[in-house]
Amino acid sequence: MRAAIGLLASFAGVFVALLVQQAIPPVHAFEGARWLFVPAIFCLAAISLPFPAMLGAALFTGFLCDLAYLHVVGGQVEIALGCSIIFFVILGSVANGFRPSFERGRWWPLVPLSAVGTSSFLLLQFAMISLRRQSLEIEAAVAWRILLPGALAAVFSVALYFAVRQLEGLLPSPSNPGRGF
Amino acid sequence: MKKLNIVFLLVVVAVAVFLSVLAPSAMQGLQAKFLSVLAPFLRTGTAVQAQLGTVGKGLKTLDELEVDNRRLQEENRELLATNNLLRDIEAENNQLRSALEYRERSVFKLLPARIIGRDSSSWWNTVKINRGFEDGAETDQPVLTETGLVGKITTVAKNESIVVLVTDETCRVAAKVEGSREQGILSGKRLQESGTAGELQLNFLTKNAMLEPGQKVYSAGVSNGVFPSGILLGTVKEFRTRPLDGQAVIEPAVDLSQTEDVFVVVGAK
Repeated sequence: MRAAIGLLASFAGVFVALLVQQAIPPVHAFEGARWLFVPAIFCLAAISLPFPAMLGAALFTGFLCDLAYLHVVGGQVEIALGCSIIFFVILGSVANGFRPSFERGRWWPLVPLSAVGTSSFLLLQFAMISLRRQSLEIEAAVAWRILLPGALAAVFSVALYFAVRQLEGLLPSPSNPGRGF
Repeated sequence: MKKLNIVFLLVVVAVAVFLSVLAPSAMQGLQAKFLSVLAPFLRTGTAVQAQLGTVGKGLKTLDELEVDNRRLQEENRELLATNNLLRDIEAENNQLRSALEYRERSVFKLLPARIIGRDSSSWWNTVKINRGFEDGAETDQPVLTETGLVGKITTVAKNESIVVLVTDETCRVAAKVEGSREQGILSGKRLQESGTAGELQLNFLTKNAMLEPGQKVYSAGVSNGVFPSGILLGTVKEFRTRPLDGQAVIEPAVDLSQTEDVFVVVGAK
């Protein structure tokens, strides 16, 4: 029951995060780097949910990200649908490996996972675009746009963890079945 | 790992592989449906942003207000003197302005649209507009303003569309330079400077083109092309020679970071 609630909450969180990302302008001072909330939200879901639920979250998150970033010009697809699903399955499998320690109260692996997950998601996009366009552009802006969102995601993941923990306290649990709103 | 988990994993990977081999048009169809789901939220967000922007603009410091007040008093004296002279001209001016309305004088059939969302990605330059196939918008239709080209439509949903901007590297336009026989391919750059109008590059010019800053660049309108001839793209900022050809850096005619209202070219008049 808790896994189902967690999965549904991660679906809602990812959807809302995609909308919020659309509304937040880039950080002009840092070469147009952007806030990315989705990988951090997914990492929290992946580290706290059972493996099958994590796969469901990876499928949903990857599919939505693929649709949000699909770029087709002149019949050419830059990043095909499905690529992000594979990425989130791999990221989720790594994060899910920390689940036993997360359940014992060690939440800190969420921070590096969110940072690395966010930056590697952007790096993957950049690599696939470079491959598709058959040219590689190495500029400081590329580093800023890949690394800064990772650093911001690390900060965001801490806030997200404590916010979710507060909300989780309102749910009924085996130790306190009567607990609720 | 449990057998059931392996089965789940294989199913998810199979779905990903299935999606990756879909035809581009099928992918665009899925994206269009997703855009329709997002659209109400995007429209609400745009409206809220506009309201918040208005509130922010109204707030000024006392120093700014004092400077404004002094300037306005001076302007007021000047305006009182000229006001009487301008009354007659006003009526004539209104007539001329309406006659010159871009939509009226354009040789294209234009569909007015509003930008409801800007791209949230780090690598692409696109916007979302509030016109879709129900309004007559179609894939590959050019999008412009009265000052020049904005881009072209790539994905069309029911009442929304995605427009790839001329500043994007994947948007290519056959272009000609005013006052010369030079023609080339204009495209955006992969990494545009954030918060600016951006820059375009005009490639495949002859090495001895010697373009001067300020020369205007228009779409060339090749046969079976997307963009009709004569749309202003920008002005030459810099010309440089390369081993095999010449390249010009172009300042876009439209500041795409500030633009809110655009027109979709739905056909010729």
